[in-house]
Formats: sequence, C-alpha cells, structure tokens
Amino acid sequence: MVVITHQREKCIGCYYCVELSHGRWRMSKKDGKSTLIGAEENRGFHTVRVSDDEYEVNMRAAQSCPVKIINVKKV
Amino acid sequence: MELMAPAGSFEALQAAIQSGADSVYFGVEQLNMRAKSSINFTLNDLPEIARRCNEANVRTYLTMNTIVYDHDLSIIKTLTNKAKEAGITAIIASDQAVINYGKTAGVEIHISTQVNVTNLETVKFYANFSDVMVLSRELTLRQVKKIVDGIKKENITGPSGRLVQVEIFGHGALCMAVSGKCYLSLHTHNSSANRGACIQNCRRTYTVIDKEEGYELDIDNEYIMSPKDLCTIDFLDQVMATGISVLKIEGRGRAPEYVYTTVQVYREAIDSVLDGTYSEKKVADWMARLDKVYNRGFWSGYYLGQKIGEWSKKHGSQATEKKVYLAKGMHYFPQPKVGQFRMEALKLSVGDQILITGPTTGVVYTEVKELMVNDKKVSQASKGDDFTMPIDQIIRPSDKLYKIVAS
Repeated sequence: MVVITHQREKCIGCYYCVELSHGRWRMSKKDGKSTLIGAEENRGFHTVRVSDDEYEVNMRAAQSCPVKIINVKKV
Repeated sequence: MELMAPAGSFEALQAAIQSGADSVYFGVEQLNMRAKSSINFTLNDLPEIARRCNEANVRTYLTMNTIVYDHDLSIIKTLTNKAKEAGITAIIASDQAVINYGKTAGVEIHISTQVNVTNLETVKFYANFSDVMVLSRELTLRQVKKIVDGIKKENITGPSGRLVQVEIFGHGALCMAVSGKCYLSLHTHNSSANRGACIQNCRRTYTVIDKEEGYELDIDNEYIMSPKDLCTIDFLDQVMATGISVLKIEGRGRAPEYVYTTVQVYREAIDSVLDGTYSEKKVADWMARLDKVYNRGFWSGYYLGQKIGEWSKKHGSQATEKKVYLAKGMHYFPQPKVGQFRMEALKLSVGDQILITGPTTGVVYTEVKELMVNDKKVSQASKGDDFTMPIDQIIRPSDKLYKIVAS
C-alpha cells in the first residue's frame, strides 16, 4: 500500500503532478489548484491509499512539486 | 506623484497605510509573483483589505501577473469578479487572458513590469486596455522621460480617456533577469519564478569553471548573479523630473518594518522635492534610515545609465539593524495608556529600542521608558515575566515585540 498526502491549500497550480501522474491528479477548474483524486480531507491534508504500482509516478510528482506539499509513503 | 507600497501581510499593509503610502499592491491565492511566500492573502481577505484602505484613502491594486495556463482561467474570473465586488481599485496584469477578462468585466487594468514595456509603440498598444503601465526596470531615466513626453505629445489615452500614466520601480530588489523573466529557479528546482515560486538561487555564491580545460575563472565576487537593491533616494529629483505618475516600492516578501521605513523615507523625499527642500543633508539621513532595514546593498539600477551592474557582496541582508523577538502582546489599558506583554525569550531593559508589529497595529518603533513586573518598577524583564510599560499606541494579543540591535 502507498499513502499519498496533499496539502492542497498551498498549491500554486504549476501542473507538474498532473503531467506526471494524470490518473491520480487533476486540475480543479474551480480554483486552479491540483486535486488528489479519491482523497479525503482532514484539516487541510488530503489523503488517499493506493496500490504499490502507483508509487513511482507519484514519487516523481512529489519530487517535482515546487512547493513540496506532496508526500508519498509506502506502508 | 503616487507612492505605491508592497503589502505581503496585514502587518505590512498597516505599515504602508501608517507611513504615508498613496496606494498598496498585494497578491491573493496563487496567481501572483510571490505565490510561494508563506504569508499570502486569501480571496476572503479582499473585503478587509479594501475596507482598511478605503478608510485611509489608499488605493488598492491586486497583482495577477504570473504566466497563465488553461486551468487558471476560471480562478482568474473569480479573482477579477471578487476584486470588483470588494471595490479594489485595479488589477496589475501581464498575461493577455487577465488583461482581456478585466476589460470585459469593467475592472481597471494596470500593465505589470512583467510585460516589459520599453517603448512608446508598446504603450500605444496597451493603451487599448490600460491607463497605468509599469515600465521595464532596465530603462534609463532618459528613456523613461522620452516615453512620458511621447504620451503627452501624441495624446495617448487609456480606456478612461485620460493620458496614460507611467509607473516605475523606485526602490527594492532587482534580479539578473530582464523584468523578472527568469528560468534559473525552474531549471534547477522545478520551481517557476514566473508562477511566483522563485527560490532565489541567483542570490547564492557560484564559481565558474571552464570544463574543457578546468580553469576556474577569476571573478572577484562570487555573487555573480545577485544584484544589489535598487535605491533612487539620492537622485529622486531627477526621477520625478521625468514626469512619471507612480513610484513603486518593491518588497511583498519583506517584513512590515521594511515597508514602514522605506515608505516613510520616500514619502518625506517626494514631499521635499515638491516643496523645494530636497538636499544632500536630508539624503544622508534617509540613506542611513534605509540602511537599517533589509537590503542587499544599494545601487542606482539602470536609471543613470552609466553602470552595467553592481553585485551583492554577501548573502541576505546588509541591514545595519536587526530585530530579536522577545515578547507577545497581552492587553492594553487605554486610560493610563499602558501595554501589557508576556516575555517569551531573553531580556528587555529600560532604555532598549523596540519594534512592535501586528496585523492591526502595523509597525511601532519606540523606546522602553519604564517597566513594571508584578506592580513593581524594574529595570529589566526576563523570560516568563508579564510586564507592562507606558505606550501611546493600542497593544493587541496579535502583536509581537522585538528588540532592535545593531547587526
């Protein structure tokens, strides 16, 4: 299992995560920020559990994020 | 001439209002050149910003001057509409999407320095959309004057029907890229300056090595990409003689006391030029005050035309003073005019120079004249003490108290 966390409020809408892992991220038309698909929100942190095969692309998304608000962890 | 101040927080906004700014500019949410800054206003702050500024008769400009993607189009509309609703004076824009939507929505648009306006034909082009244009920071005063004169001579008017007004940067950070259009931060850290996420890696030291033969180039200063800050205080009379309408202070990422001191100094200087009392002696005093707040050393930018570039000599600020956090605000007793604080670090003594900042308080510089702990007069308060001292300004729980020391 892999846990992805997104601190959405600080997103600057650069689009990298969507580019690298478009099945898991999309740009919100409402506020121009990136949305973590399938995630649940708790106090500003959006979290989703996904299978291991999504680890690599989302790691790359986390590393590319200019504001470092994506966290990817194997559990 | 209008003096425009940066506001990156409510503290800085209040400081700008207190120190005599005619207008302020600020960003909300992500579409501004300081999007990465930890203290950014949100959409919900717009009415409060407008309220405070309207009360003080200060004009308000919302920056929306990053590059724009398709997925940003709807937030642009939301921001523009909300700005209009809140009564924000104008939007500072560079992307055509923002300019065009602003025009459609009937919101005043100012052309950002990011557009890099450097000649009269470009002014004519943008006059279809805008009444105020910020010129490129790389022009000389002679070039600026030529554009201002050209606008008058050719009667170039904006959407309002009035002559187009020219705005230039008067003080603050410069960068090695032409009007901020830089790829360095994106290239090394995936963090685009043009989306407001510049990590300022140009401000670091670098060595230059010829890889083919391994020679290290002999450069007398390792800060080869970090220019000093722009300062025009010592030739402000020449700046004003160009006929510009707005002088802008850079620094939305800087502390409230920077905004306070810089705006106060430029306010005095502008007024001195206007009443004929601008003098070398005054300039020396203003320079000494500007030296005290954050700066990378000063130079005249490209305005006087004679220098290629002056590079910073050390990392970060070269300010002659710094602030040390000591205490937080607790309560204010209006009748005896006494403020109560809680010491959270170090010590505070009678005679210390202090700075108090807060989102409503703004910036207060003062001296500790008297200290009381547990209803007894003391000469010093220490960590953990609740102390009171006489002060004319209202103290609030959101205030922070700092001691000013030489750096």
